[in-house]
Amino acid sequence: MGCCFTKRRKSEKAEEEEEQPKLYSWDQREKVDPKDYMFSGLKDETVGRLPGKVAGQQFVIQDCENCNIYIFDHSATITIDDCTNCVIFLGPVKGSVFFRNCRDCKCTLACQQFRVRDCRKLEVFLCCATQPIIESSTNIKFGCFQWYYPELAAQFKDAGLSIFNNIWSHVHDFTPVSGELNWSLLPENAVVQDYVPIPVTEEFKAVRISTEANRSIVPVSRGQRQKYSDESCLVVLFADDYTTANARKLIDEMVGKGFSLVQTKEMSMKTEDAQRVFQEKASDFLLLLNKGIFCNYFPDWPS
Amino acid sequence: MGWAGTRHDAYLLRISPRPLTLKLGRKKKPGGHVEPVAFEWTEGLLSILRKLKSAPDQEVRILLLGLDNAGKTTLLKQLASEDISHITPTQGFNIKSVQSQGFKLNVWDIGGQRKIRPYWRSYFENTDILIYVIDSADRKRFEETGQELTELLEEEKLSCVPVLIFANKQDLLTAAPASEIAEGLNLHTIRDRVWQIQSCSALTGEGVQDGMNWVCKNVNAKKK
Repeated sequence: MGCCFTKRRKSEKAEEEEEQPKLYSWDQREKVDPKDYMFSGLKDETVGRLPGKVAGQQFVIQDCENCNIYIFDHSATITIDDCTNCVIFLGPVKGSVFFRNCRDCKCTLACQQFRVRDCRKLEVFLCCATQPIIESSTNIKFGCFQWYYPELAAQFKDAGLSIFNNIWSHVHDFTPVSGELNWSLLPENAVVQDYVPIPVTEEFKAVRISTEANRSIVPVSRGQRQKYSDESCLVVLFADDYTTANARKLIDEMVGKGFSLVQTKEMSMKTEDAQRVFQEKASDFLLLLNKGIFCNYFPDWPS
Repeated sequence: MGWAGTRHDAYLLRISPRPLTLKLGRKKKPGGHVEPVAFEWTEGLLSILRKLKSAPDQEVRILLLGLDNAGKTTLLKQLASEDISHITPTQGFNIKSVQSQGFKLNVWDIGGQRKIRPYWRSYFENTDILIYVIDSADRKRFEETGQELTELLEEEKLSCVPVLIFANKQDLLTAAPASEIAEGLNLHTIRDRVWQIQSCSALTGEGVQDGMNWVCKNVNAKKK
């Protein structure tokens, strides 16, 4: 009995020959000048980008001193390196914002991940979808994102960020020091404009900004701040076309009546979650579960 | 691996990362007419055959390392076909098992912050493949990531382990091409093991499968 082999097909031969280098989308896309998406080595300047001028690209900020930097658009990811005494506004960032070797900066920004390493004295009004982390840093202060301009809502969508997913105060420190705190919360009555002022230069006049709490695109929440009372209430809205507007309206009305918003969340609820939240009433809501759900917590009743 | 048949019917079963080809060379039909017949089977056949023979898929231990913010967890989630729009910085580690090309890949994704890199060594033992992820668009940290990779390749417990370097985040504007990264890392000086650099975007998935194909091809390439 011998071994018979078939004739090799042509395609088989080609497979075993040296493979041609594969072309990917990044090999074929239009070349963009990275310098248009970078602020580097600036001093005593007010610079930025108007809505539509970043359009989801990566942005790089480095070696800036005494600058006011305003990026009024959504981006892919932003790194901020070796900056001192800067004011920084970053529109919604789809991925991570990473501060390294920075000192004395005041910022307002929204992102999926917030990372800090080797920094001293940062004050950040933050909207972060996941747990913010710091490493080898001190005197990092956090407050809730508070900002409005008309294009901002759509920029959150473009960046894939929900205005209701913000755990700005739930910070993890990779290098805790016993007996000390490397981070803390900004005072609740902090005035945003005292930290991150609205730009007054001609370039940015067209951006109709407000820093009022009740106009903020991201609902201002208390997060981990010390509660006023132990009483709380959970509000759940099932998603449809008007849910965002209705949620905002509800928040405004309740805050107006003296309630405090602790936390919001936008999520898909599974059957098990429904059982846990609604308990004996769960079956009433199971049909609605395929859509997203907003949950607003108002733990502080007026006295 | 192959099976020999008779003079009339020849079967060649070739194992490759691409779809299996089961071919009949010549089939003598009534009347003496000889015609070639070819069939194609998906790679699932291999898994089914193994299960029929009660041979479990080979388990492969993969260690996923790299600096913090390199995209390791995004890559892990992409491999497991999970949602990648809401990923939190890894504090400890993540682990997932993924079936691929007849293997059960056990992938360990370890947090990459500077403070917790000393803990990487706890995971070295019995690693079959090292996947090292680089943020190709974070040029400020090329030196740092190069340093960490160099130190890893000097580790006794990782000696001879094949290494796949993912030049990740190619979707970003300032991403350096794989060739530039290979040069900067002096990959050509690696002599003690098989290695490969693969450009990818863990976010979009592009390039990831190509890297994993190399992994599956080199699962048993650990030189000793």
